[in-house]
Amino acid sequence: MIIYAIAFYLFAAVAVASGTMVVAARNPVHSVLFLILAFFNAAALFVLMGAEFLAMVLIIVYVGAVAVLFLFVVMMLDINFAELRQGFMRYLPVGALIGLVLLAELILIGGTWVFSPDAEIAISDKFYMSGEVTNAHALGLVLYTKYAYLFQTAGLVLLVAMIGAIVLTFRSRPGVRRQKISAQVGRRVEDSVELRKVKSREGV
Amino acid sequence: MLQVACVFLPLLGAIIAGCFGRKIGDRASQIVCCLAMGTSAVLAIPTFIDVALHGNARTILLFEWFASGDFHAPWALKFDTLSSVMVLTVTVVATAIHVYSVGYMSHDKSIPRFMAYLNLFTFFMLTLVTADNFMQLFFGWEGVGLVSYLLIGFWFDRHSASAASMKAFLVNRVGDLGFALGIMGVFILFGSVEFDTVFPLVPGKVGESMEFMGFHGDALTLVCLLLFVGAMGKSAQIILHTWLPDAMEGPTPVSALIHAATMVTAGVYMVCLLSPMFEVAPVARDIVTVIAATIGLVQNDIKRVIAYSTCSQLGYMFFAVGVSAYPAAIFHLMTHAYFKALLFLGAGSVIHAMSDEQDMRKMGGIWRKIPFTYAMMWIGSLALAGIPFFAGFYSKDMIIESAWGAGTGVGQYAFVMGVVAAALTAFYSWRLIFMTFHGKPRADHHTMEHVHESPPVMLAPLAFLSLGAIFAGFIAYETFVGHHMAEFWRGSILILPQHPSMEHAHEAPLWLKLMTIVVAAGGILAAYYAYMVKTSLPARLATMFRPVYLFLYNKWYFDELYNFLFVRPAVRIGRLLWKGGDGVIIDGLGPNGLAAVTVGLARRAGRLQTGYVYHYAFAMLIGLVGLVTWYLFYGRL
Amino acid sequence: MYAFNVASLIPALPEIFMAISGMVLLMVGVFRGDRSTRAVSWAVVAVFIVTAFLISRVSGPGVLTFDGMFIADGFAVFMKQLALAGSALALIMSIGFNEREGIARFEFPILFLYATLGMMLMISANDLLALYVGLELQSLCLYVVAAYRRDDLRSSEAGLKYFVLGALSSGMLLYGMSMVYGFAGTTRFDTLFEVLSSSEVGVPVGVLVGLVFIAAGLAFKVSAVPFHMWTPDVYEGAPTPVTAFFAAAPKVAATALLVRVMIGPFGAMFDQWQQIIVFVSLASMALGAFAAINQSNIKRLMAYSSIGHIGYALVGLAAGDKAGVGGLLVYMTIYVAMGIGTFACILCMRRKGRMVENISDLSGLARTNPALALAFAIFMFSMAGIPPLAGFFGKFFVFKAAIQAGLYTLAIIGVLTSVVAAFYYLRIVKVMYFDEPAEALERPVGTTLTVVIGATALFTLLLVVNPGPLLSGAAVAAVSLFGG
Repeated sequence: MIIYAIAFYLFAAVAVASGTMVVAARNPVHSVLFLILAFFNAAALFVLMGAEFLAMVLIIVYVGAVAVLFLFVVMMLDINFAELRQGFMRYLPVGALIGLVLLAELILIGGTWVFSPDAEIAISDKFYMSGEVTNAHALGLVLYTKYAYLFQTAGLVLLVAMIGAIVLTFRSRPGVRRQKISAQVGRRVEDSVELRKVKSREGV
Repeated sequence: MLQVACVFLPLLGAIIAGCFGRKIGDRASQIVCCLAMGTSAVLAIPTFIDVALHGNARTILLFEWFASGDFHAPWALKFDTLSSVMVLTVTVVATAIHVYSVGYMSHDKSIPRFMAYLNLFTFFMLTLVTADNFMQLFFGWEGVGLVSYLLIGFWFDRHSASAASMKAFLVNRVGDLGFALGIMGVFILFGSVEFDTVFPLVPGKVGESMEFMGFHGDALTLVCLLLFVGAMGKSAQIILHTWLPDAMEGPTPVSALIHAATMVTAGVYMVCLLSPMFEVAPVARDIVTVIAATIGLVQNDIKRVIAYSTCSQLGYMFFAVGVSAYPAAIFHLMTHAYFKALLFLGAGSVIHAMSDEQDMRKMGGIWRKIPFTYAMMWIGSLALAGIPFFAGFYSKDMIIESAWGAGTGVGQYAFVMGVVAAALTAFYSWRLIFMTFHGKPRADHHTMEHVHESPPVMLAPLAFLSLGAIFAGFIAYETFVGHHMAEFWRGSILILPQHPSMEHAHEAPLWLKLMTIVVAAGGILAAYYAYMVKTSLPARLATMFRPVYLFLYNKWYFDELYNFLFVRPAVRIGRLLWKGGDGVIIDGLGPNGLAAVTVGLARRAGRLQTGYVYHYAFAMLIGLVGLVTWYLFYGRL
Repeated sequence: MYAFNVASLIPALPEIFMAISGMVLLMVGVFRGDRSTRAVSWAVVAVFIVTAFLISRVSGPGVLTFDGMFIADGFAVFMKQLALAGSALALIMSIGFNEREGIARFEFPILFLYATLGMMLMISANDLLALYVGLELQSLCLYVVAAYRRDDLRSSEAGLKYFVLGALSSGMLLYGMSMVYGFAGTTRFDTLFEVLSSSEVGVPVGVLVGLVFIAAGLAFKVSAVPFHMWTPDVYEGAPTPVTAFFAAAPKVAATALLVRVMIGPFGAMFDQWQQIIVFVSLASMALGAFAAINQSNIKRLMAYSSIGHIGYALVGLAAGDKAGVGGLLVYMTIYVAMGIGTFACILCMRRKGRMVENISDLSGLARTNPALALAFAIFMFSMAGIPPLAGFFGKFFVFKAAIQAGLYTLAIIGVLTSVVAAFYYLRIVKVMYFDEPAEALERPVGTTLTVVIGATALFTLLLVVNPGPLLSGAAVAAVSLFGG
């Protein structure tokens, strides 16, 4: 149990620290790298809670895709971050004050936290938390039944995201030659290759 | 369904002519409006037969209008004998006037607007008479007031017309305030504004008292008097009558429709409708009688003769109401609608013939040139003066006899006033006829050459109305006010057995009947003597009794009195409040001071909007932290 | 196990129909290209109408489905139909605009459709998670349509600002939800209500703070002060029909959501959340009144105006009873009609083929285009709350509810700020009627716009004749929310 606690506080502390560094780091590339570190620690926390599927998904999706995309964007865009940060010092006192107040309040709340006695009753589906089935199995069982509504709606959100991305960025410029996959796939040997007998030393 | 169409067709016509008049043109607007009105009148006939003669009174609920707490007011059309009589009268007279207007206004620039107003007016009048609650009554009431204002000021480019319309509106406002207070009083007293709920409760409320502006008074009397103030404004009773003569600035058909036949009788209708309340408020009825009888004598101004005769005829109706002769009042209302409209339209025809000349002193000697109009004016005047067998004779006699039959002090007063007024009515009616049609022509040569009879479209309504002016009294006498009238009215009017003025009237002695006739004939003869035989007499009399003449000529100095009592002080108070109160105190501290603060605040609020996303996000966070902090320290209830 | 039968889907049938029609129309658009924009737009309008019809058929007294995550009750019917009407009118107005501006693409109506679907899901949400996904579906569409004119810097900026701040507000919302879940162990509204009202240990401050976070997230969506900062910039930058859309439908959905969340799961905490609503309402009314005075851009002015209007509507929620919620529903209905009408008028502000947006461009409109000026004046007078126009009734009912609930200060300050607000509404009327005419606006304004302006103006003008159906409809909807 003590090992569990040590591991939890270790991962949690590293996660918070790297979160702070994401904001504080001067170099944006460093920020993204700290972000990846924070993700890893969060995944570790998931593992500690027995949610290994979520931990893996977090690493694959957030570290593997999102963070790498961030990295690319940050490295490819020519943004003068030093200039952007100029205002930072000006707002730091007020910002820090607000942040500290909020932090203090949240700590205060955490100290007085209680769970409602009814919460135990309200939490249904203890079956899936009992560890009798694997994580992924359990998720699958609820995702397509109890949470089908949310699952489908999330699908719609993704559809809209796709439409939105296309609407905002896709444009057909004149004079740009585009790949026509169907034409490529539909090409046959006869259409593009002409076999000729070339007599030797005569040329075509 | 018939009934609904009957009420709403004019509205439809008004919308079409009013909104699309410019597109569909003058001719089409006229056709649409006359058609809507005519159809409505045709529909009113079966309604009248069904409701009044066969006794199928009904209320058609259209929909709920207001529902706020205990306060309910539906839109409903109530058809009982009383209202169906009104609907029939209004639609028939209005149709005649619509047709007449086609000819009369043919040279005007804005025909669709005029026709739309006429239709709209009729619609409001019909909602007024078919109301089944006080709110709807008030709606129609205000509606006719509004259209009346629009129509008086129809030629808004004339200064006198717009001034007259303002005057009419303001004077009516005074009456309407009383009416509105009366409705509120009804709601406080009965907890409802629906007639069917209120009337049965009336007997139980006799003797209850109510506080109004610090006075304790009998509740029903108070409410009735307040309501009557509204009727006084609309029906131009003394004190609030000054707007009516000025209202003649409007086109003649308007004067005929609104200021003679329909709108001004709304007050009479209202009091008859509310007979269950007025019956048990004797003091209120006495005041009505006195006020109404007095107006009979305010008629002597010579300029707007017909307008003033309307005042006096309304006076007849009101004192009939005052002595509990409601059916007689409604009867006179109906006959009056016919002959007064006839007189007005006839006058309009004269004005038309005289190239828009309105002053009688510049007319004369034209009876040979416009014989038809002349005949019509005779019929109208005979009916007005109450010469036997014309419509006015039956109804006016009934009223005078009822006043006599009431047997009370105020009844006697009303009776005397009524007889005197009858003589005067006859006198000025024939003065009008003699001055306009007889004697030497006083118009210039050019105008006289152009005197011509009006087109058939104007004469036909005249002929139609003249039938009413001749026969309406004779035909309807038995039904309306005869011995068996109770079967006809069927509870739409309540007369307590303690008030048998009508019963007594039926037993009036012969001398009474003869007296009214003699008095009327005397008036006619006097007019003949003064204006045909000895034409210098009026001028001599005027110089001899100069103060009296001036007093009458200036309409009892009512306008001057009001000017002195209300208008000037109001202007002075207004100036004081404006310069001192408003300018220095309120503007200084309020608008100007406050405006400066507001502008400052506005600028500051605008400056918050910097356009930077992180400022916005920061503002959100500050708001959030502020709210959280609030709850941590103060919000733990 | 969770039995899943088709019949249980029926309460959500309108939403399912919308989602599927959206996909079908998307396919049509993809294969036919931008030529089909007009057809797709009208098809989406038709879908809205059919949905509105279906909604009225499938609802009942609090029908639940999807394991209680989705509720179709009288309140939902009222708000959904209102939102659909707002969306449909805004979409109709956009067709001509997009074609003229050369930005007509078939995705636009599809995005409107999905945004509206998101609103439907928000209004019907009976679970914190369902609330969140509905909200995101709507918001995502809104971010995209705000930036829809992608070659225009202001439009892109508007979309981006909206997106960034929207993400922040979603974060607040989720944080608050997690706190509430942490206490109660459930996200379902009805269960939450039971847990919160029966809790023996008392509701801890943490839940209260969670509630504050949720309220803040939702306040952002209705653009209530102090979470309103995005509104003026986004309203100004977004294409005008999109602004009209923003001002109408999403506001309806977000208010519906706010009302449902406050009255439903947190009903037992009325005393606590009433303070938030009172504060937010006061601040919105005041800012909406004062900040609009200095604006010269009419769209920006309308943004502040809408902030103010939300403040007035929230007065009804602050009362927290049936009368208050009924007043809010009446207010929102009238607000949608006035807002759509005003934006339709703004869409008529074209000169030499280009849109103009300054108030001074309206100078002397009464002489160059009297009909348009009249309609505009009707909307302005109504927004200022001058009887007997519709706007007066809206204000009347919310203030009445507030006074009955004893919130005198709120009602008095509300009336005072509406006097200040009347200043800038009447200034527009003054500019139109008394200033020297500027160059005339382009005519004709187009049939669809004329119809939209005419219909909304008539509604605003004639509501006084028969307010009965609206009042009783709102009352029924409000009662159904309180489970009566």
